[in-house]
Amino acid sequence: MKRGLIITINLLIMGFILLFIIGYAYLKAKESNENEIAAFEKMTVTTNQIITNYLEDEQHLCDIWTNYINRSAQDGSPMTVEEAVSFIRKAKISPEIEGHLIFPDTPEREGVSTAAKVSDPDDYTVSYRYIDIFDNIENERDTNDAVSLTRAYTNPMNGVQSIAFYNNVTILDEETNEPKKGLMMRVVPLSRLEQKLVFLKGEYENVEISIVDREGNYVVHGKSFKNSNFFEYYKSYNEATSEEYENVIKEIAGGTGTMTIKNFKGEDCILSYTPLESMTTWFLLAYIPADNLVANRSIDWLLLGIATVGFLVLLIFNTAVMINYNRELSAAAKQANQANEAKSSFLSTMSHDIRTPMNAILGLNEMVLRDARDENIRMYSENIRTAGNTLLGIINDILDFSKIEAGKMEIINVDYSTASLLNDLVNMVKKRADDKGLSLNINIDESIPTILHGDEIRIKQIIINILSNAVKYTKQGEITFSVSSKKTENKPDSIILKVCVSDTGIGIKKEDIDKLFVAFERIEEKKNRNIEGTGLGMTIVQRFLDMMGSHLEVESEYGKGSVFSFELEQKVVKWNPIGDFEEAFRRSLSERENYREKFTAPDARVLVVDDTSVNLTVFVNLLKHTALRIDTAESGDEGISFFKENHYDVIFLDHMMPDKDGIETLKEMKETADTPNKETPVICLTANAISGMREMYTNEGFDDYLTKPIDAERLETMLLQYLPKEKVTVTSNNGDNDDNEETEDNTLPAFLYDIKELDPDAGLSYCGDAEDYIMALTLYLGSAEEKAEEIEKYWAAGDIKNTTVKVHALKSSSRAIGALELGEFAERLEKAGNSNDTEILDKELEILISRYRQLANELEPINKV
Amino acid sequence: MKKKTLGMIVSLSMAVMLLLQGCSGTKKAEVPFSPKYDKDTVFSLTVAGTYGNFESLEAEFERFYEYYPNAELQYVTMDDYNNVISSALVNNEPPDIFTTGSWMIGNEAYDDMFKNCEVLSDPSVGIDYSCIRDSLIRTTDSGDVVMLPIFTTSYGMLVNMDIFEKEGLEVPRNFNELTKVCADLKSAGYESPVMGTDMFSGSGLFNCFSYPMFAYDVKNNSDKLDALNNLEPSSGELMRPSLERLYEFVNSDCIDISKCKEEIADEYDAVIMRFFEGDVPMMLATGDVASGTAKRESKSEAFSANPFKYRFYVAPSGDDGGYCINSVSLCFSVNKNSGNIDMANEFMRFLISSKELGNMAGLKRLIPPVDDFSTNEIYSALADIPSDRSFSDKETGLLDPAVRQFRAAIYAVGNGEMSVDEAVSSYGSIPEE
Repeated sequence: MKRGLIITINLLIMGFILLFIIGYAYLKAKESNENEIAAFEKMTVTTNQIITNYLEDEQHLCDIWTNYINRSAQDGSPMTVEEAVSFIRKAKISPEIEGHLIFPDTPEREGVSTAAKVSDPDDYTVSYRYIDIFDNIENERDTNDAVSLTRAYTNPMNGVQSIAFYNNVTILDEETNEPKKGLMMRVVPLSRLEQKLVFLKGEYENVEISIVDREGNYVVHGKSFKNSNFFEYYKSYNEATSEEYENVIKEIAGGTGTMTIKNFKGEDCILSYTPLESMTTWFLLAYIPADNLVANRSIDWLLLGIATVGFLVLLIFNTAVMINYNRELSAAAKQANQANEAKSSFLSTMSHDIRTPMNAILGLNEMVLRDARDENIRMYSENIRTAGNTLLGIINDILDFSKIEAGKMEIINVDYSTASLLNDLVNMVKKRADDKGLSLNINIDESIPTILHGDEIRIKQIIINILSNAVKYTKQGEITFSVSSKKTENKPDSIILKVCVSDTGIGIKKEDIDKLFVAFERIEEKKNRNIEGTGLGMTIVQRFLDMMGSHLEVESEYGKGSVFSFELEQKVVKWNPIGDFEEAFRRSLSERENYREKFTAPDARVLVVDDTSVNLTVFVNLLKHTALRIDTAESGDEGISFFKENHYDVIFLDHMMPDKDGIETLKEMKETADTPNKETPVICLTANAISGMREMYTNEGFDDYLTKPIDAERLETMLLQYLPKEKVTVTSNNGDNDDNEETEDNTLPAFLYDIKELDPDAGLSYCGDAEDYIMALTLYLGSAEEKAEEIEKYWAAGDIKNTTVKVHALKSSSRAIGALELGEFAERLEKAGNSNDTEILDKELEILISRYRQLANELEPINKV
Repeated sequence: MKKKTLGMIVSLSMAVMLLLQGCSGTKKAEVPFSPKYDKDTVFSLTVAGTYGNFESLEAEFERFYEYYPNAELQYVTMDDYNNVISSALVNNEPPDIFTTGSWMIGNEAYDDMFKNCEVLSDPSVGIDYSCIRDSLIRTTDSGDVVMLPIFTTSYGMLVNMDIFEKEGLEVPRNFNELTKVCADLKSAGYESPVMGTDMFSGSGLFNCFSYPMFAYDVKNNSDKLDALNNLEPSSGELMRPSLERLYEFVNSDCIDISKCKEEIADEYDAVIMRFFEGDVPMMLATGDVASGTAKRESKSEAFSANPFKYRFYVAPSGDDGGYCINSVSLCFSVNKNSGNIDMANEFMRFLISSKELGNMAGLKRLIPPVDDFSTNEIYSALADIPSDRSFSDKETGLLDPAVRQFRAAIYAVGNGEMSVDEAVSSYGSIPEE
């Protein structure tokens, strides 16, 4: 992951966390604000109660005055003004409070005060002429109100802002001697009411309490409220439509609540309002700047800021650490890559370097095998070949693995012969299976097309790896190699090739199956320590199959055996079916019993260039019987000098040579004008046995290539392809050209003609000559009892499939030795097996085995021949 | 646009220059206010006055809080102010600062009040009022300055400029033009081209029309001033020119007095709201009334629906033109009984500056009393008054009793209760309100 992406993701996560914090803080702040506002509103209601109590107390005192005065009137002796005022002077306790007995109906709205004017200590008359508190006095209060109260006004006696509680009284008019109505006012300085609100300062520092009447005129005026009327104030500083303005008036008149308004500074303020309980035409307004109630939010922002900075510091620190780690990791990775490259290079070089001497070893061993007549020497030589081939396999595995690791392995698709591929595979594994006494069952679908298109070498490698493993890990029993094909639904020019290898080997535990595909990992290392291998086989198989779009299926039962299978889609080049592969193989097998050169060409001349003299010796010896004239050169330069001087029919040029390698040598040869070898094909000898070599070498100018260790048969085949036809004499099957060949004797032992089940002539024609026929009979006899028992075992186990496979094998082998009727009988039962007809098998299988054993008994004398 | 703005600036400058008349000598440079006391001083002050609202003062409170954040100032409207203020100054909860009027000087009813006033001219108080025009400063008999003017006003009329523009008329500059314009307006359907409040007050329509002319005559006949102030009946003759002009005016097509009485119930709100109806070309009013227009624009549905441009002009009562008299509208005094006398003086020290008084006048739409002020655009027309007809009321030397007699005379003549001759001969004994 790139650093930028990591930082972006980190920033996104940080952003998310910060957004979450903001959201959460905002939610909490909102909740807190709502709680604060609710508490503030509650405080307003509490204040209302305090004021109500106070007002009711004052009203009660006023009522006591008036009740006393009125009681006199009710008793028929109303008090005079002087008596009433005198009573009040005595009744009132506080000097700040005055009693005004007013007659509102008089022109001057005058009366008598309990206290003298400040400006004139002898003057007790009081006039409310210029104080309009009585104009709407009835409108000012609700009839249900417990308190009768004026608005705040200036006491005309002393100029103090006051409020007055009032009640009607009946007084004796001294002029008329009749009772008359008057208004008794208990005049209280407004400051006394304001003092009741001082307690709030402790809880809310900046709260301001105002009391307004229903028109919005202030009774008690908060400091921050400009204007003389709250509604005017609201209108002045809040952008409200007339409808909104009306709504505010209605809302405040409607009961208790809270609203947000702007003050004269344009700041948000919380206004809590409630009608006074004792005087519902007055409203208590509690005002406080909104930020006084939401102070906590600033702390949240502080925390958020710290968190942001913290995150950034963390990010920077982590980034720095990450960069440092990355640098170290990068250096370590670089070292590891270098080490890996060195390893791959080493493995590759080592593999190559081992292959070169292996060429000499296996080549020379091949010479020994051809020339030795001593059975012991042949046996030793065979062992060398086996061990050499094993070593070669290991080297190839390492080479392939190192190429896969380096990403240099490619799938190179070519047209290939299915029969040839299968032939090679069976050839390779048959010997090993036989050596271990394992039975190799070959079950090849006859309908497989003859020519397919795919990476032949890799497919071969995959299958041989699986087969080799099967042989390695099977101590006894059998290995069944099955190949079948089926048409694909969507691609008419392709088939699905299904390959399946089953064995009766040690099996794999379920938990170990995954280890199969881990490089250099070997299952149950201790138990299998004697089994050779690198632990790369299955890894390579899996990688190759991956590259070809397939995968390996493994079914295994520990201790009983395993089944490895895979499917490969292959393009079909020729649809002709390969037919009975087993039969064809057997025939080719008999042909290969002894080496015989394919041709002789004494007039042809070949040049071989290789820096390893042993390789040159091997090469020359491999072609000893072809009578070819072979010149050898140990360097590119020597080869070039030969190239200039002599005409050659084919030139073999080693790729890897010191000083001047094969490609450079070829380039120089091509540039040489004066040479008789302008048209001579040049074939590359290489130890790099991988697909794509052909393309690589042909691109460099080679006509073909041959891998080392050199396979004698391939070498001869290649020479047959490139040598001029006129110089080649193909060797006939009867071995006319072979000086060493013994005279052929096709006489068969007489007892063979007495065996009813056998047609010796037919057998002879199948096998070619008497010697081969007798060998085939010997082999048939040697495996008869074992095969009969296998058929019986499978049948007894209810394994129809393998029973059928074995019957199929019996069919083929019986026909090959001329036991035609037995072969036909077996064929009939094979068909029954394929169609799951157990009834026929049940009836006739025993007869077949009986006849098989009978034939084997009758063939016993062959061992004495 | 630029030309118009430039013209306005020139006009305003001229108005300032004219209004500066009477200011004596060269003024010293103003020193910016610097707090004398610790800024953390906790105190509260109460300013008492007659204004129902005093937002321009409340704005100054806020500015003062910048120097004294722990201060708490409030403005209190007092009922029956003129009768109560003297008592209020000596009660248990006296105001620290209170509003006064220049007319109170010489009125014995306010002697007690003035006794309780701080002497602001006392150097120990430290108030530098040199920024205030000398012609506006009133002193007691002993020469003490106990009140300092905060606002000044003038007498004239509000003119609906849109009507004049619509009718293609010029605002009249003299009485002759007035009658002609009124004739045209009347024929255009304006029943009473001039209106005003028919009340016995300084803001009354007769006072706004006649007082500047009378004051001008008094100023130019200073030899008769003492007789006028002594209310000698013979001196009433000096009222004749202005009374005759008033008589001529009320009996012309210019004004329908009965309509004024019927439609304008008070001397302030009703004047403004009636003017905002939009069908009155000229509304006689004082600068105090003009100061209330801004706030009431939004209260008038008619004006909100059909706003128009309006300006303040002097009433064109003279043959040669109108007269611009600049009189003190409101003064501030400090109660020497204040519990926070030092801080009350500190606030006054802060307030009495060109800057603060200019700010207040700007908000209040009144004319500031200082040399260096920027008045409201509404008063721009005052710049057109020639210097010889522009003066302050102090220059007349008239005392309040004489002014009230003149006011009674014009009220009687204007309402047809007296003839000009009766009013002139009754000077000194004309019944007042």
